Amino acid sequence: MALQTTVDHVEARVPVTVVGLNGELDASTYEHLIEDVRGLYAGGTRKLVLDLSGLTYMASSGLIALHSIVQVMHGEEPPDIEGGWSAFHALGNAVESGGQEDVLLAGEQPGVTRVLQRTGLDQLFSSYPDRASAIAAA
Amino acid sequence: MTVPAELSRLADIRALVREVAIEGGAPPVCLDDLVQAVDEAATNIVVHGYGYQGGPIDVDARVEDERVVIELRDRAPTFDPTEVPEPDLSIPPLQRRPGGMGLHLIRLATDSMTYRPRAGGGNILTLTRSLDPRPKEER
Repeated sequence: MALQTTVDHVEARVPVTVVGLNGELDASTYEHLIEDVRGLYAGGTRKLVLDLSGLTYMASSGLIALHSIVQVMHGEEPPDIEGGWSAFHALGNAVESGGQEDVLLAGEQPGVTRVLQRTGLDQLFSSYPDRASAIAAA
Repeated sequence: MTVPAELSRLADIRALVREVAIEGGAPPVCLDDLVQAVDEAATNIVVHGYGYQGGPIDVDARVEDERVVIELRDRAPTFDPTEVPEPDLSIPPLQRRPGGMGLHLIRLATDSMTYRPRAGGGNILTLTRSLDPRPKEER
């Protein structure tokens, strides 16, 4: 199943953009997701909730997408991904591990949680049980 | 099943393995592990093996002796992924090179990953995962 995304703008304590991911995030779709978020950032989004409740699978390339999304939301340009994964190199440390709150996760399924934990990327995100609680925390 | 090595066909490979695993009675965590393992391995063939230039990937999946066995065969240049070292997870995520996590995930999702070169050129990667309902970390 291909990845489908939804975008909602919510007025909470601060303006929040919620991107809902439905389907499977793999090597064929992760670049589109980064592009989508780059467009949102350019349009003024500064607080992002990724609603993962409809995401049934996340590949390691999905981790690259999450990693890049955090960078985009910090105004950093992720390395050119056109050249494939070899284009990635050690990245700047503008964001300390575990310190970022610009991108929040919501509603991830157990399989996705396991991927995040197995790679240590869970340290990078605050995660909430559902979209509403993530928005409330934003 | 033989599929062309294209990113758009990864979903077909995942679907095949999911189908075989479900028929074989794989519990949820086992199913997730198998889908992850075959997807990461097939992605590596498309991206690194064939370098996006395409080629055939043969995928076989079967259940035997309370485990699921997946075999991936390609005609890409010889490469043994079992020789690749583990990534350093002590480096903070944003300072880490974000690629290279695929093999790490395969190792955690499977009970064995074995490699042999293919006669006539290419690679054969065999992945096994028991039908145990627990993730590897809890066994």
